[in-house]
Amino acid sequence: MFACERCSKPATVHLTEISGGKRTEIHLCDACAQEAGYVQQAHVPINELLNQFLKAHAQVPDTPVTSCPDCGLTWQEFKDSGLLGCAKDYDLFEAQLKGVVERAQQDATHHTGKVPLRAAGVKRAEDPVKLRQAELARLRKDLARAVAEESYEKAARLRDQIKTMEGAA
Amino acid sequence: MTIDDLTGQTGEWLAETGPQHDIIVSSRVRLARNVAAFPFMSKANRTQRAELHAVCRERLLEVPLARPVFYVDMDQTNEVERQLLVERHLISKQHAAGEGARGVAISTDEALSVMVNEEDHLRLQVLRSGLQLKECWAEADKLDDQLQETLDYAFNQRFGYLTACPTNLGTGLRVSVMLHLPALKLTGDIEKVFRAAKDMHLAVRGLYGEGTEAIGDFYQISNQTTLGRSENEILDEFKDVIIPRIIMAETQARSILENERPLALDDRIGRAIGVLKHARLLSSEETLFFLSHLRLGVVLKRVTGLDLATINQLFLQTQPAHLQRHLKKPLDGDARKAARAEFVRARLGKNNL
Repeated sequence: MFACERCSKPATVHLTEISGGKRTEIHLCDACAQEAGYVQQAHVPINELLNQFLKAHAQVPDTPVTSCPDCGLTWQEFKDSGLLGCAKDYDLFEAQLKGVVERAQQDATHHTGKVPLRAAGVKRAEDPVKLRQAELARLRKDLARAVAEESYEKAARLRDQIKTMEGAA
Repeated sequence: MTIDDLTGQTGEWLAETGPQHDIIVSSRVRLARNVAAFPFMSKANRTQRAELHAVCRERLLEVPLARPVFYVDMDQTNEVERQLLVERHLISKQHAAGEGARGVAISTDEALSVMVNEEDHLRLQVLRSGLQLKECWAEADKLDDQLQETLDYAFNQRFGYLTACPTNLGTGLRVSVMLHLPALKLTGDIEKVFRAAKDMHLAVRGLYGEGTEAIGDFYQISNQTTLGRSENEILDEFKDVIIPRIIMAETQARSILENERPLALDDRIGRAIGVLKHARLLSSEETLFFLSHLRLGVVLKRVTGLDLATINQLFLQTQPAHLQRHLKKPLDGDARKAARAEFVRARLGKNNL
């Protein structure tokens, strides 16, 4: 048990400071720690806390303070120009954009048209022809490896598989 | 090929060989696309803009296409050349007036053009004569497929293709038809068509798209929404609903004029011929106005000895940039009006109207 360094009351706040490779320990009581600015006053009235909370949250829907970390666009900027700054903005401001998009697009909310072949994270109905071609390419590669490794039994099996698939096409 | 070579030719879309060309002058399909690795135009700095331009330019020139493509670097063009491209519907007014690294790839028959660094990174356009929306879409779709083999597009599952402006979101597809509706204008029923179009959430614009006036009875009608419907659903609405209705209305108006007001109709056409053949000063608007009535006369076979191809060439060649290019000197005010009147007189003088 440590005593407060300033007033010798029992210490309740224990700090370890390391600066310039030198380690110092500080022990203080509540009152002295507050005075020194190490801790905040603990007795904030509960309704004041609640008010602060409500105030903070009431501001969220129409005036978010966030700007896009990639392009720097703010919601206000979009409201002024009608133009977004990068693809990420559609995720970042999705909640606010929802209404804008619905107004502009006759209440439509989701894309139902063409999907690019290479969009990241988007699943696409597999094309059977392409699938077969990919599979054939894989088998041919395996065959070449099997021959190189002199695994002739495996190579023969792969060769037959390729023949069957080519026949089916 | 260069801009110079364009001046003398008439693009495929003005050939008047497409289906329904007496009313549907041309069909157009436009796709908006952005490259995932770059910010949209409003947030792209000079370096990113230049890099994006170089990447897109290279991709566009290496894609194997049915028709050869040439590339125009906007920074290397003068104002008249840019205006010429606008008059030929190969670039937008915004692109002509823009700044910084930007350009356009154009196929030699002018059916295909791709603007780079306009409002979106890429704006693919296919423009054809008459009613050929499905053909336009097939071609745009194919080029889009070819480009995405080497370019990763900005896309997300919910909103589809991501565009700088949410009004292009989803398919990024803007379908439009350029209509010649002189009879509806003369019978005063054109407003009804506009109201019907607005009820169907269609945009009605003038000859040169967004923010331009309807002149010479030419109107562009396009879809306003791009999200929530597939490309084929958007196209089918045009093919099955919108276009048949407009064709029916204009055809009806034309037969009303022919059957109930033939004298008034011939008077309009005759006045148009009179002005075009004899005027010494012609403004651009006036020329379009009278050429529109002359076109109606030719389509209804009340004027003989003139084909639509000649009229279409006049529509294009009397535009300010074309006129200046043709005469190889800058013209303004009355000089331009005089040159235009002379040009029209020379062309129509050969025909016995």
